Amino acid sequence: MNSDKFLDRAHDIQDTYGYIPEGEIDKMAKEFDVPRAKVYGSIRFYSMFYTEPTGKYIIRVCDSLSCHINDSKSIVDSIKNYLGIDDGETTENKKFTLEVVECLGHCGEGPVMMVNDEMYTHVSKNMALDIIKDCT
Amino acid sequence: MSEKYFLKENMEKNVSDYDFSAFKKALKMGQNKVIKEIEDSGLKGRGGAGFPTGFKWKLASQQEADLKYFICNGDEGEPGTFKDRLLMEDSPVKVLEGIMIGAFAVGASQGYIYIRGEYAKPIKIFNKIIKEAKKEQVLGENIFGSDFSFEMKLIKGAGAYVCGDETSLINSIEGHRGISRIKPPYPIEKGLFDKPTVVNNVETLSCAAEIINQGSDTYNELGTENSRGTKLVCLSGDINEPGVYEVEFGSMTIREIIQEFGKGIKNNKELKFVIPGGISTSILSNDKIDIPYTYEDIEKAESSLGSGALIVVAKGHDLIDLMLNASRFYMDETCGTCFPCREGNRQVHHMLKKAMGKGIDHNKTELIKDIGKTIRLASRCGLGQSSLNFIGSVIDEYPNELLIGGVDNG
Amino acid sequence: MVKLEIDGQKIEVEEGTTILEASKKAHIKIPTLCYEENLSIFGGCRLCVVEIEGEDNLKPSCATMVQEGMVVQTHSPTVREVRKNLFELIIASHDIDCNLNCLTCSRSQNCDLREIAADIGVTEIRVPPLDKGYDVDESSFSIVREPNKCITCGRCIRKCEEIQGVGIFTTANRGPSTIVTTFEDKGIGNVECTNCGQCILACPTGALHEVYHYENVWDALHDKDKHVVVQTAPATRVAIAEPFGAEPGTVATGQMVAALRRLGFDKVFDTNFTADLTIMEEGTELIERINNEGTLPLFTSCSPGWIKFIEHQYPEYLDHVSSCKSPQQMFGAVAKSYYAEQHNIDKDDLVVVSIMPCTAKKFEAVRDEMKEDVDYSLTTRELSRMIKQAGIDIMNLEDEDYDQLLGVSSGAADIFGSSGGVMEAALRTAYEIITGTELDNIDFNNVRGLEGLKEGSVVINDMEIKVAVANGLGNARILLEKMKNGEEYHFIEFMACPGGCIGGGGQPLPASNEILEKRMEAIYDIDKNKKLRKSHENPMIKKIYEEYLGEPGGHKSHELLHTHYKERGI
Repeated sequence: MNSDKFLDRAHDIQDTYGYIPEGEIDKMAKEFDVPRAKVYGSIRFYSMFYTEPTGKYIIRVCDSLSCHINDSKSIVDSIKNYLGIDDGETTENKKFTLEVVECLGHCGEGPVMMVNDEMYTHVSKNMALDIIKDCT
Repeated sequence: MSEKYFLKENMEKNVSDYDFSAFKKALKMGQNKVIKEIEDSGLKGRGGAGFPTGFKWKLASQQEADLKYFICNGDEGEPGTFKDRLLMEDSPVKVLEGIMIGAFAVGASQGYIYIRGEYAKPIKIFNKIIKEAKKEQVLGENIFGSDFSFEMKLIKGAGAYVCGDETSLINSIEGHRGISRIKPPYPIEKGLFDKPTVVNNVETLSCAAEIINQGSDTYNELGTENSRGTKLVCLSGDINEPGVYEVEFGSMTIREIIQEFGKGIKNNKELKFVIPGGISTSILSNDKIDIPYTYEDIEKAESSLGSGALIVVAKGHDLIDLMLNASRFYMDETCGTCFPCREGNRQVHHMLKKAMGKGIDHNKTELIKDIGKTIRLASRCGLGQSSLNFIGSVIDEYPNELLIGGVDNG
Repeated sequence: MVKLEIDGQKIEVEEGTTILEASKKAHIKIPTLCYEENLSIFGGCRLCVVEIEGEDNLKPSCATMVQEGMVVQTHSPTVREVRKNLFELIIASHDIDCNLNCLTCSRSQNCDLREIAADIGVTEIRVPPLDKGYDVDESSFSIVREPNKCITCGRCIRKCEEIQGVGIFTTANRGPSTIVTTFEDKGIGNVECTNCGQCILACPTGALHEVYHYENVWDALHDKDKHVVVQTAPATRVAIAEPFGAEPGTVATGQMVAALRRLGFDKVFDTNFTADLTIMEEGTELIERINNEGTLPLFTSCSPGWIKFIEHQYPEYLDHVSSCKSPQQMFGAVAKSYYAEQHNIDKDDLVVVSIMPCTAKKFEAVRDEMKEDVDYSLTTRELSRMIKQAGIDIMNLEDEDYDQLLGVSSGAADIFGSSGGVMEAALRTAYEIITGTELDNIDFNNVRGLEGLKEGSVVINDMEIKVAVANGLGNARILLEKMKNGEEYHFIEFMACPGGCIGGGGQPLPASNEILEKRMEAIYDIDKNKKLRKSHENPMIKKIYEEYLGEPGGHKSHELLHTHYKERGI
């Protein structure tokens, strides 16, 4: 790609559509003058870029070691239970996508979760469900 | 004991409130003296590898090129590490100042700060800071009337731990897959867009700014011969008061840090071991932590200070579960390029998963160690080379517990 | 020069040499997987790691330059242990189990992994194979991809991108999900793949191979109602001996003909015949375009990989492409018309099989414009399989001749198999037809050789004809870009594969530069030793024009021997 604009463009598209559609990759390939496969491969390297539509809210729960020690698994389980989806899945109404992710950099305040850009710390099971219920 | 504030001095959030005294001082000192000052301070990179910062700058300044780049690595992501986030949130202007000092010293005219995509708040802050700095002409042409001109761009990462590796980060800025590059050539010779490039960690640059500000002598009075100054320690895990604490090197033992700052183990449990430098480092069991917090003492104990992430683990956890957790991290986060790292971490994860609740026998632990040796010796970047340190050290320390299921009841 | 020590041997090599290259000079073989001589260094497989005195970690010899005074151990105990462990991991990722085993693999005869295992001395595999569970990509008419066998060494990616300038493959995802795939996982057949098959030559495993048609050919051969004829492309005769242990460069034309007869083909013909015919048609087209101020330069059209490339990538230049069908398709058209009529064979009972050094020919044969003139197109590799399946000891067969008429050819046709050959053949004929005088020297040496881009000029009747030759699609792109920037030519030969058809994606493995050189030499030897060396002097070509086609470029020719192209987009 050889352009420091690539990630910006991809973020913009991701923010606009909630994922990076095929046609946009075609456009990026032309913009950056590389084979479209290369753009696709690069996009697919990053876990915050999606090539399929995701839910309106992406819930990311950290399960790296410090959070794991503080029982992040129980948070994950209760969300899974409540939404009826597994890690990496989206609810049928396309509202929520759940992801168990690695370290979110709030290891001193675990367990932590993010909903889209919002960070929540010291999350309990009930708190997690309340956060989800507040998403409209 | 209380924290030793060196780095935590002068925490400002707005460009207009900040006088950039260190940067102005640097302009007066000139490039060579700035580099000399940083070299004299003995500052080592705070990202984990510990490469001498002044030496890196010196090499970069000696490169002949029409364009040089200076990159601040804010892709913090190693489990247990959260000090760069704190600096980017609470003293962003000093981070900017550090970047400017470094760029001035090596002769770079274009700078980047690469912040991991999950750090929404720091990203927002730096967007604002860069805009403000441009408006206040802290960035741009002939800064503060000098002949130094410098532009900055924020790059928002997109969820890939490995981009914290400097060559992966460079690939990522260029829009490529964030895989590490073959070294040599090193970024200092041929980095971003094939130009000489310096990549420094957020904490390193904050330190550099403060060293110029307070002088290397002040810095040198702190710490030990080989571990100068202070370090931000990220305390997490089974601990009463986790957080980021500034510790003067050599002034406290690891146990003291846990007791004094962390206020001891949560729920009155007993300490089992600590991971002294993030999950890419080997564990130190309870009987090995009465050592001064310095690079050299932790190395002598066969581990590493790494990024300064001190994860405290109490008794009662399923060791195989913890190993599996670390293993999943490396399996998922390897860039997938070099075979030992990709296939090795995948196989180790499979073995540990199978062992959950059942225990893991000697043949398997030997195999994991063979794989560990292979990854350490043959893989391409630091992520791979250190990926089995934690797991390997648990196997060495607690072979019998692993045999019976990994659950420690004592 | 740099002095260093490798495995106790003191050697001196040029600066900028890698340890791998230096070791080769010292006659030490270091195993490699992701390394390939013509591609950029990937440094991923790590099998080539070596121990360097004073270094903590092992270093990949493919990516590490020699340094003065370096002391290297290429097979130290640590290195050997690491390689063994590493190989276990690689094999586990290669997914060998009962369903997917070596016996049924496309690479059962020439597996790089097996060779490496033997070199390393692997004695145990302690990690179980991973079931990656990917679907086989069968979307293409030419190439099949079996992702479960892929070890993601990236050679196909680099070959497609760096050598061919196309780039249909990419690495996607990371960690354990790292895969080689196409844009949006669409599959090879649904993207801008040219079908050139160079990726197959690059693959060290059996993850890539051609779409097999040899079973269909067996069925046709065993069907008593079918009259099955076969044509053999120029480049096959200098490569078919290799899978049977012969030295690269062995010419086995007569033995291949004999083997084809034993396989049961009713007639064994030669694509060379229609190569000569191509020269007549294309030469005429060139002369017409020059005389009538037609679109110039004229581009050759024999390489179907090249055709698909230009249809996808440079559709604005399609007017430049000769309307002549490729020799394979001309043969099919002539066989299904002239030959069928002459011998009173019902077209439906006539099966035309071609043996090609090419995978793109499979796609070409099923293009709508081609009307099923060629029923099955087999690669040289597939033919070698059939010969083995039939237990034919080809190397000990007596030479036999091609069948008459469609089996007679000039040396100009043979050199079609090598880059520059079509150009040279065309010049031999065009010169003599235009000037009416005989060429003194018919060897056009400046268009010969493995070099990717060649240029030259020929003066015909006071007119300087500027010609160029590109082999490898990456070079084709360079040449087209040169044209875009104003460079002018009259006639350009394009071949999709490096070296031309001798390096085709359907040729036997391995296919190193050295082997390509030998095949190329063999091709020119055939030409040199033939009496008949100009297409227009082929008596059977004269005959077919007299009896059937009329004149080159005439009505009948256009109906049978010419075609058109379409813009495909990306």
